Amino acid sequence: MNKLGRRVVLRGSVGLAAAGTFASPYIARAQAKTASVLWVQGFVKEEDEAFQNLVAAYEKASGNKIDYSLIPFGPAMQKIVAGLTSGDTPDIMFHDIADQAVVPQNTWNDKLIDVSDIVETQKDKFHPTALLASKYYNNVTKQRGFTYVPVKCGVLPFHVWNSMVEKAGFKLADAPKTWDAFWDFFKPMQKKLRETQRNVYVHGLQPTTNGPADGNNTFHHFLIANGGNGIVSPDGEAHLDDPQVKEAVIKSLTYITTSYKEGYVPPGALGWSDADDNNAFHAKQIVMDLDGTISTEVAMIHEKEKYDDAITLKLPNDNAGQPMRAELGAAGAFIAKSAKNVAVAKDFLKYVIQPDNLNLYLKTGLGRWLPPMPHLVKEDPFWLKQDPHRTAYATEGMIDPTVPNYPCFNPGYAEVNAQQVWGIAVADVVKDGMTVQAATDKALKRISTILAKYPVTRS
Amino acid sequence: MSTDTLEGAGLLVRPRPPLLGRMWRGGLQGSEWTWAIAFTVPYIALFLAFVAYPVAFGAWLGRDPSLYFELAEDPIFQRTIVNTILYVGIAVNLKMFGALLLSGFFMRRGWWVKGLLLVFVLPWAMPALPAFISIHWMLNGEWGLFNNFLFNVFGIEGPGWLDTSRWLALGAVITSHIWKWMPFWTVILLAGRMAIPQELYEAAEVDGATGLTRFTHVTFPLLANLYLVCTLLSTIFTLGDFNSVYFVSGGGPALSTHVLATLGIRDAFEVARPELGVATVLTALPLMIPLVLILMRKLRTTEVTL
Repeated sequence: MNKLGRRVVLRGSVGLAAAGTFASPYIARAQAKTASVLWVQGFVKEEDEAFQNLVAAYEKASGNKIDYSLIPFGPAMQKIVAGLTSGDTPDIMFHDIADQAVVPQNTWNDKLIDVSDIVETQKDKFHPTALLASKYYNNVTKQRGFTYVPVKCGVLPFHVWNSMVEKAGFKLADAPKTWDAFWDFFKPMQKKLRETQRNVYVHGLQPTTNGPADGNNTFHHFLIANGGNGIVSPDGEAHLDDPQVKEAVIKSLTYITTSYKEGYVPPGALGWSDADDNNAFHAKQIVMDLDGTISTEVAMIHEKEKYDDAITLKLPNDNAGQPMRAELGAAGAFIAKSAKNVAVAKDFLKYVIQPDNLNLYLKTGLGRWLPPMPHLVKEDPFWLKQDPHRTAYATEGMIDPTVPNYPCFNPGYAEVNAQQVWGIAVADVVKDGMTVQAATDKALKRISTILAKYPVTRS
Repeated sequence: MSTDTLEGAGLLVRPRPPLLGRMWRGGLQGSEWTWAIAFTVPYIALFLAFVAYPVAFGAWLGRDPSLYFELAEDPIFQRTIVNTILYVGIAVNLKMFGALLLSGFFMRRGWWVKGLLLVFVLPWAMPALPAFISIHWMLNGEWGLFNNFLFNVFGIEGPGWLDTSRWLALGAVITSHIWKWMPFWTVILLAGRMAIPQELYEAAEVDGATGLTRFTHVTFPLLANLYLVCTLLSTIFTLGDFNSVYFVSGGGPALSTHVLATLGIRDAFEVARPELGVATVLTALPLMIPLVLILMRKLRTTEVTL
């Protein structure tokens, strides 16, 4: 028997190291047809199955391999941020709120690959707002470019328990058609409902400082309804001194804080996470909720009575009586400069955004997300004709007027969102007793400070 | 290789390496040195990969002085500093003092005391995350267990514990932390008390020392060093505690109960600025480093009995 001596150990170690060194190029070449993908897990299992089907179909058609991880919403964002920081990223990263939270800043810092060759393949079919949400400003090249591939879209419809409205003696058909009046319509119901249910509230308002998305989305809809959509213009310039914007902020803060102080909003909403309003709605602790996508309804799809009792409503007109523009979020994919298999990654994304593939993917996911292509919604009866929830949702998102999230105009607004400036303004009033005027001035000053770090228009 | 022969002994002696080389090799010679290297390399590699590199990378991320100016101007960060001081100061001292008193109680004889100790340590044995998440739900102002209990039993509408008041929320966080960790330190101090020789108490009793006098003249002097070391350790742990705050109050209401550990994670991953998150956490270093140094000095002390 050979003796395991020092020299044997050392020679063996050197041999292994040498074999690894010489073999590595062949290993790398063997993986050249594989792309690694980080994709956000769905809200319901059907969404994950839809993605798995999409991957299987692509692998069969292309012969390439997709090595994917389906990761929950919160941890996925952490992994993306950590990967972009360390430079060790999957080839494709996808997140539901990447257009608001990670792509604007990383395009600004020149960390993402240009994906115009992917977007161009379907450019004429994309919704104009989704196209706006795919272009971001790069502070190194001093230009805007496509760094984001929109895969699915979502808007915020109203979700209402019809049985609670009727129990309070009202009919939804009587709901007014303008923004503030529509919210006011629910207020008288609370007294009646509290005769039989303790701690029930009518407004699923989300003046929260927890994120990541709902608090900001809620406030932005009030801002738009009050004529403040021009807070950031498409050229990236902020208009914080514009009297119309300031007045819209004041009106929005006034409505939200008054409703909160008058007791129509659950006090805990100040600290709600994105799932808490859904939980409160499902528990029938709130009569209505303004919340993104139709995840609220899709979660009950196997409970027919509840599914039919919930009503999805598209937005009423704004306070000037004009059609309200919904904030259209674009969930999508992007490729970091640290990606190793860019060719396969791009090939896969080109496959994903082919209209038929995209439509099948989103339909299999129960229609929780809309295709970013209006013609699909108009041509396929699945979206506008087969289900009342989807009809209202798809009409709001793909037929009615929309605006993109502000970070696509100015990446600094992504930090404004992350800093929850609007939620803090609400808290300043309802928690710390500040006047609406003072809270408005404080919020606008804070936004100005943040945006000053991102001089888009001065570049 | 040349060798020398010891006269009269017939032994072969290798030439001694120079003094500096011997010192560097810790007295090891020949293959001993090679084997020592072979065995230590994996540990050194692990240390470099998982301790030195992350720390150095973190320091590199937080190297830009402008980050600290940005933090200094951030009202949330300013409030977070105050919260951190209050959280660590109140939670650690209440917890350790309570543990000191309770360890005395659990020294009592009797099966029921042992049974009570078993129940008392349960919070510590319980996984932290489900425990804190449960507390968060129990404190829900509208539908939580506490307020439902108050309403159903006393007809009182309880406050929104975590909803609108910074101080109620911070109090809830501190209470939860104490509930979770006091049992651990109680057991440590109980072990310390049990190590005090019984003869000392008997001698003290002969001298007329009982009750509080016995505690102040025998128990506490002998436990003092252990108590100090435990307090320092607990301060370091609490300064880095993320779970209690994140899962009980979530840093709310309106970001008013964040501590450095939670704000750092928020800045890194929610604000998506890892360098700002690292800078936030690094601001704890001026407090952390002196604590570690004092702790190291205390641990080197050999004169104190416990």
